[in-house]
Amino acid sequence: MEYVKTKRQQIEKFLIKEAALLDQDLLNDWLDLFTDELIYWIPSGSSDINPMKHVSIIYDDRIRLEERVKRLQSGLAYGQEPKSKTCHLITNIEVDTDENEKIVVFSNFLIVELRRSIQTIYSGRNEHHLVHIGDDLKIQYKKIDLLNKNEYIGNLSFIL
Amino acid sequence: MNINVDELVSRDGVSGKIYTNPAVFDLELKQIFEKTWVYVAHESEISNPGDYKTTDVGKHPVIVTRGSDDGQFHVMLNRCRHKAASVCQSECGNANFFRCAYHGWTYSNNGELIGMPFQDGYDKEFDKQHNGLIKLPRVDSYNGFIFASFNEEVCSLNDHLGYAKEYIDHIVNSGPEGIELSAGAHKYSYNANWKLQVENTIDPYHLSVTHRSFFNILSKKTGKKFNFNKIHNNEKISDLGNGHSLYELDGDLGIGALPFNLIIFPNLSFVGSHVRVVHPVSTDKTNVKLYPFLLKGKSDEVNAERIRKHEGFYGPAAFGTADDIEVGFDRVREGLNADIKNDWLLMSRGIDRETVDERGVITATSSDEVSARALYKQWKKLMTVETR
Repeated sequence: MEYVKTKRQQIEKFLIKEAALLDQDLLNDWLDLFTDELIYWIPSGSSDINPMKHVSIIYDDRIRLEERVKRLQSGLAYGQEPKSKTCHLITNIEVDTDENEKIVVFSNFLIVELRRSIQTIYSGRNEHHLVHIGDDLKIQYKKIDLLNKNEYIGNLSFIL
Repeated sequence: MNINVDELVSRDGVSGKIYTNPAVFDLELKQIFEKTWVYVAHESEISNPGDYKTTDVGKHPVIVTRGSDDGQFHVMLNRCRHKAASVCQSECGNANFFRCAYHGWTYSNNGELIGMPFQDGYDKEFDKQHNGLIKLPRVDSYNGFIFASFNEEVCSLNDHLGYAKEYIDHIVNSGPEGIELSAGAHKYSYNANWKLQVENTIDPYHLSVTHRSFFNILSKKTGKKFNFNKIHNNEKISDLGNGHSLYELDGDLGIGALPFNLIIFPNLSFVGSHVRVVHPVSTDKTNVKLYPFLLKGKSDEVNAERIRKHEGFYGPAAFGTADDIEVGFDRVREGLNADIKNDWLLMSRGIDRETVDERGVITATSSDEVSARALYKQWKKLMTVETR
């Protein structure tokens, strides 16, 4: 029981740390939270699409996610000039499965984005697949199931 | 307000008012979106009898169906003939009839009024045949692309598409068994005029500036250097007539599979590996849908790769689109607030190095503003007719 509690605390702490890195624009540190083989996915239209047959807002592997971060840091990504400021709230955390060293965690999120004096709210549910690498947890898979995935969305070039 | 179109468009530029004046926008809905052919659907979206999708023609909400009895395409207003409530709420589906949830008036999926509760309340004069959903009088398709028009007198779709047809054929023939729009869509919106998106669709002049970050990444990844001065001189843009234009690429720019971008005036275009549809909402709001098209008869792997390539540049979070939204739309809209006496936007690039072939097709290099001039030539023509 004590072990389960400690584990849950570790997972919560990890998700909060991820949110903080994004809010502080520490994107290289954020990238370090991921494993080398990774999927970073924001479905378009519906959450149950097959990304091999249906378009996604983002379906990044490690290479493209690194390019995404580098581009944002290049000073030439005009969609982020000025940069978005964000506040990520993480709640309703549910540890779904915890077996074979892989932990599946669901959490609800609320992201308030401020850019060009306009505050925009994005909300939805995250699915993280976490694995143990040494003493650390790492993200192998992150699916961001946006509430407005089937709506007309504006400039979404900041990292969710 | 009286609009003098001659004061808004010249041979080599446009007034900023065409983007910001609500009276111009309202006139566009009447003179363009109710007068010419407007793209509504691809046949693969309504492939079975009874299939439907909802969309807009200008500001009008419509239902596009494939009749369950006749198999024909129908385009009708999504508006009950009784008290105007919309009768269909889904983006797409299959239905034999549409029943208004207000008073129960029920229409077949080709728009005929089938019945309503307590019919005895209507007198003998009431004719159900004349109270079906209002249909757009002209519906036609070319190689799978379905268009509709409010204008009974509009020229044939064949004539409207003109020299653009062979490029549509090329797109359709890129799949061994044709193409399909089965991969869903990217949807994004921006707070500015719809014409900015159309202009931006064929404007290679901005690629090396707005999208430098994208090409830097691509160069690093592939080792390929992009010399845009050379690229522009190898590439060409053509005014195909009727507002349509074509941009022929100099090899692979990493943005998709097609060797060209094609604009079909006013609301359709083909870019990279997707079909792009522009929906004007107001002077300061435009919705855009990007449908990656898949190749029928090709493997899932090939099509998945097309989707990934598309996502790299296009969509609200992609490396290209987000910068277009910021620079090409939002910043232009902000600049247009400087409503000075000389409020012209220049579209004169390359006007003195255009060539005209025997068909009348005007061509110049890809950094030239041939496409914008083609757009506004047709815009002016349609906006001028019957306004005097």
